[in-house]
Amino acid sequence: MAGGLDLKMEVLSSSTCTLCGACLDWCPYLKNLEDHLVMRFDCGVTDGRCYATCPRTFTDWQEIEHEFLPDAASDLYVGASLKVVKVKGASVTSGQQDGGTVSALLRCAQEEKEFSAALLTGSADGITPQPFLARSLEEIQAAAGSRYLAAPGLRFINDETVAQDQLLVVGRPCQIQALRKRQRLEAAKGQPREYISIGLFCTWQLGWDFKDYLLERYPGQKPERIAIPQHGLEVTVDGKQCPVPMDDVRRYIRPACGYCLDMCAELADISVGALEAEPGWNVAMIRSQKGKELFELAVQRGYLIVEDYAEEEFARLKGASLNKKARNLNNLRQAAEQGRLKPFVDLDKDEYKQIMELAEGKVKQ
Amino acid sequence: MEWMTTIDNPGKTYLMQGNEAIVRGALEAGIHFAAAYPGSPSSEIMTMLGHIADEQGFYAEWSTNETCALEACMGASFAHARALCVMKQNGLMVVGDALHTCGLSGVKGGLVLVTADDPSAHSSTNEFDSRNMAMSAGIPMLEPSSIQEAKDMVKYAFDLSEQLQQIVLLRTVTRINHGRSNVTLGELPAAKKPLATIGEWDRMVAINWFHEVQYAKLDQARELFEESPFNTYEGPETPELLIVTSGTGRLYSRESIETLKVKDRVGVLSLGTTWPLPEALIAKHLAKVSKVLIIEEVEPFLERGVAAIAGKTAGVSVEIIGRDRGAALSQVYELHPDRVRKAIGTALGIDFMPAIPGDVTNPVVIPERALTFCAGCPHRASFFLMKQTLRLTETPGVVMGDIGCYTMGGQRAGHYLYNFLGCMGAGVSAAEGMGQLTRYGFDQPIMALAGDSTFFHSCIPGLINARYHNSNMLFVILDNSATAMTGFQPHPGIGRNCMGHPSEAISITKVVEAIGCPVTIADPFDVEGTTETVYRLLKEPGLKVLILQQMCATLAVRKKAKRRVWVDNDICRGDECGCGRFCSRVWGCPGNIWDAEAGKARIDEVVCVGCGVCASLCPSGAIKVEGGEA
Repeated sequence: MAGGLDLKMEVLSSSTCTLCGACLDWCPYLKNLEDHLVMRFDCGVTDGRCYATCPRTFTDWQEIEHEFLPDAASDLYVGASLKVVKVKGASVTSGQQDGGTVSALLRCAQEEKEFSAALLTGSADGITPQPFLARSLEEIQAAAGSRYLAAPGLRFINDETVAQDQLLVVGRPCQIQALRKRQRLEAAKGQPREYISIGLFCTWQLGWDFKDYLLERYPGQKPERIAIPQHGLEVTVDGKQCPVPMDDVRRYIRPACGYCLDMCAELADISVGALEAEPGWNVAMIRSQKGKELFELAVQRGYLIVEDYAEEEFARLKGASLNKKARNLNNLRQAAEQGRLKPFVDLDKDEYKQIMELAEGKVKQ
Repeated sequence: MEWMTTIDNPGKTYLMQGNEAIVRGALEAGIHFAAAYPGSPSSEIMTMLGHIADEQGFYAEWSTNETCALEACMGASFAHARALCVMKQNGLMVVGDALHTCGLSGVKGGLVLVTADDPSAHSSTNEFDSRNMAMSAGIPMLEPSSIQEAKDMVKYAFDLSEQLQQIVLLRTVTRINHGRSNVTLGELPAAKKPLATIGEWDRMVAINWFHEVQYAKLDQARELFEESPFNTYEGPETPELLIVTSGTGRLYSRESIETLKVKDRVGVLSLGTTWPLPEALIAKHLAKVSKVLIIEEVEPFLERGVAAIAGKTAGVSVEIIGRDRGAALSQVYELHPDRVRKAIGTALGIDFMPAIPGDVTNPVVIPERALTFCAGCPHRASFFLMKQTLRLTETPGVVMGDIGCYTMGGQRAGHYLYNFLGCMGAGVSAAEGMGQLTRYGFDQPIMALAGDSTFFHSCIPGLINARYHNSNMLFVILDNSATAMTGFQPHPGIGRNCMGHPSEAISITKVVEAIGCPVTIADPFDVEGTTETVYRLLKEPGLKVLILQQMCATLAVRKKAKRRVWVDNDICRGDECGCGRFCSRVWGCPGNIWDAEAGKARIDEVVCVGCGVCASLCPSGAIKVEGGEA
C-alpha cells in the first residue's frame, strides 16, 4: 500500500514523472500546469490510486503483458505482437503525420461505433499540446498530427462524464502502461472496464521550455509544426521547414524520458510508429485480439492500405528499441545507485539482464 | 447618539475601557487635533475620537502612517493646538526620526503621544518596549497603572507638555488599553484654548542648538516628577523588600501582597513618571532597604534606571532583582498575577502557591486553536494559489512579507508560505535586494506581499526603489479594501475619512502605474485562473506588480446577499482516496467542517459567508452554491 506522499517522493520529486496524466483530475492534491505536475498540498492517503496507476511506481511489466496480451509471442526488443505490418491511411487527412494510420484507424472505429469517446491530444497552434475528449469525426480530425511536447492526455479518463463511455485511448507508451495498470486496479476493485488503446512509438518528449527556445530562435515568427522526418527535428516556421540542431533539442528532452524502457507502446492493442525508411508510411504492431479485429476491419473497409514489412526494417526497429531500453536501464541503475530514485522495475529480473546482454557492445553511452 | 466619553457629569463614576478613558482624558484636556495609525491595542482610541470629533469640535484623522500622524500633530502644535497622537509600539519605532527631532525642536501647543505596547505580542509580531524611545529621544514619559490614571494622565500630560514646551509620551500596555474599571469623570472645558498666529520670527526647528535646551527641559521634568502625585508609596517605613513598579505592576503587586499576607514586610513604590526617573525619590526609598524587586512590563527599563541611581547614591547598598537575565521574572512575555506572586514569594523565601479555591486536579483543557483567516477570507484563496504556484515553478520561490491579517499566511492558514517576515513595508524592499542577485546566478522566483493599507503606509518608497533599480521580483498587493486586522479603519484607498466624511479614494493601481510598474489585477477567488497569472508573472524578468482584489469577507457579508453553500452527500467522496477531506483539512476554511458521523464534508452555514471558493476546489463537485450575489 502506498499513497500520495510516496508518489511525491518516488516519482514527482525524482523527475521520473512522465506526465501521462493518469493521476490527475480525480484528486485535488495533484496539480498540472504546462509540463509541471506537482503535489500542491500533501495528501495523507496511504492507499492511493495515483500510486497504483502510475507508470513510474514499481511494476512487473512482464506480468501485465501476459495478462493483457496472452496470445501474442513475447519479444524482448519491441514487446509482444500478433502481427507487424507496413501501413498507411487510404485517404490523406489534413495535418496527419507520416502515413496517417492512427487517423484512419480512428475514423474507422468511430464510424463502426467501436468507441463512444476518444482521448486524444490536439493543438491549437501546432506546437502546444492540448489533450481533449473527442466524440465526433470533426473532433477526431482536429487531433491529427504528432505532438512532441509532453501533455497529460490520460487525465480525461477520470472525467465523470466518460464514466459510462466505451473509451478509446491514443497515447504514448507511458500512457498505455498507466492505462493497463488502471485496468488492473479496476478489476481488483470489482469494476472491470475495457478500453481500446492505440499506442504511439516514442523516443522522448520535450519540455515546454522548448517553446521559449523556438521563440528565441525565430524571433517575431510563428513556429507552426514540429516533425522528425529522418535523423533530426524540423520546425515549420512561416511555412518553411527549418532544421533544429539535435544538440539543442536534447537539452529540452524531459528527464523522465531518460528512464523509459518502452519505445513501441508494448502494451497497446495496436502500436503505430513512423516507417523511417519510407516517408508517408507507418509501421503498425497488432498486439491483442481486440487490436487485430479493429485493424482488420479498417483494412477490410478500405481505411488502411497494408503491405509487408521488410525484415531488415523490422531488425532496424528492434535495434533502436533495444538501444533505448539498454541506455535507459543503465540510467536507471546509475540513478538508483546514486540514491536519486527508487527503480520502478526489478533491475535484477532475467528480462532486463538479457536486454543488457543483447545490447552489450552496442549501447551508445 | 450619546457616548460615555462625552457625558458632561464631573465627579460621576462610570465603567470604562482604558482606551475610552484615554479619549475622555483628551476631551477633558480640550484637544484640537488628533491623528493616529491603527494598531492593537490602541486602535479604539481614534475610532472613538473619530465618532465624536465633529460634535466636540476637533479634527481627527487616520493618517497614512505613524510618521504622518506625528508630524501632522507637530504642525498643529506649532499653531498652539493641543494635539493627541496615537499608535502602537511598532508605530513608535516607525516615527523614530520624527520623535527625536520633535524632542529637539520642542512643541508649542500640548503634544501628547500615546504609545500602546503589547507585551506577549497578543496582536503583534513583537513585544518591543516603547520606553527606551523616551530615553533615547530625551522626552518625558508617563505610565498609567490604572484606567483612572490613564484618563487623568492624558490631561496632565497636555499641561506638562505646554509647561515644558516638549512632547510627552504616554506609555500604556494591553491590560490598560483593553481593561475595564471605574473612572470618575473630570470636567470638560467650557472652551478650547485659542490658536496662535505664527509670526515671521516664530520657529519650531530641529537643530542641534536646542540640544542643551532639551536637557534643561528634561531636568525640569525630573524636578516636577519628584513631587508628582502619580508616584506613590504604600507599605511599612522600612520594608524587608521594596518593590519598584510601574503600569500593571502596581495592581499585580498589591494583589499578590494581599494573597501572600505580607503587607507588613513589603513596600511598593509605584512610579507613574518613568522618564526621567525621580532620582531623589527613588534614592530615598533605596536607602531604607537591602533588597529591591522591580516589576515592570517587558524590558528591564526601570531596573537599569534604579540600579544606576543606587550606584551613584552614597550609602545605598541594595540587591536589585527583576527581569534582567530572568533573575526574578521571565525576560519575555507579559506580567501575570501568578508570576508576580511567585517573584515576591521567592524574594521573601516563602511559599508562593496559596490554596486556590475550586478543583484544580481536573482543570478544563482548552483546545489549542491555530490562528486562521475568517471564513470566506480572500487571503486564504490568495495564499492557496500562491503556494501551489510556487510548487509549480521549477525552483522553489521565496516569499517576503510584513504585517497584517495576511501575516497569518506564515502559519497553517496560509500553508506556511512566508520565508521572510519583517516590519510593515519590509517585504517589497527586502525582495528588491534579493532580486538584484539574479545577476550572480540567484534564480529563485521572488515574491513580496503587502496589504492595501500597508501599501499606503510604507510600501511606496520600496516600490519606487525596486522600479528604479529594476529588481527581478513580483510584488503582490493583497487588496481586500480594508485595514481589516485592526478593525476596518479607513485608509486612503477607502473613500471615507476617520470622521466619517467622504473623501476621494486614491487608486492603488494608478499609484503603481505612475511609478512605472506594469500592473496586473486578478481575483484570488478565481483560484486556478489566478494561479496561471502568478505563474506567468514569475517567469517574466524584471519588476511586476499584481493586485489581488477581493473584498474582505467581513465587509462582503455586510454588502452582498449571502449565497447558500451546501454539500451533496451523494457526490461527496469524504475520506476516500480522491480527496481525503480536502475542503476541511487542506483548504481549511472554518466554514468547511467534517461530519464524522456521516463520514462526509459539511458546511457550517452559520460561519460560511457564501464565497463559494470551496465549491470550485472540490474535485467531485459535491459542494453546491445557490442564490445570493457572487
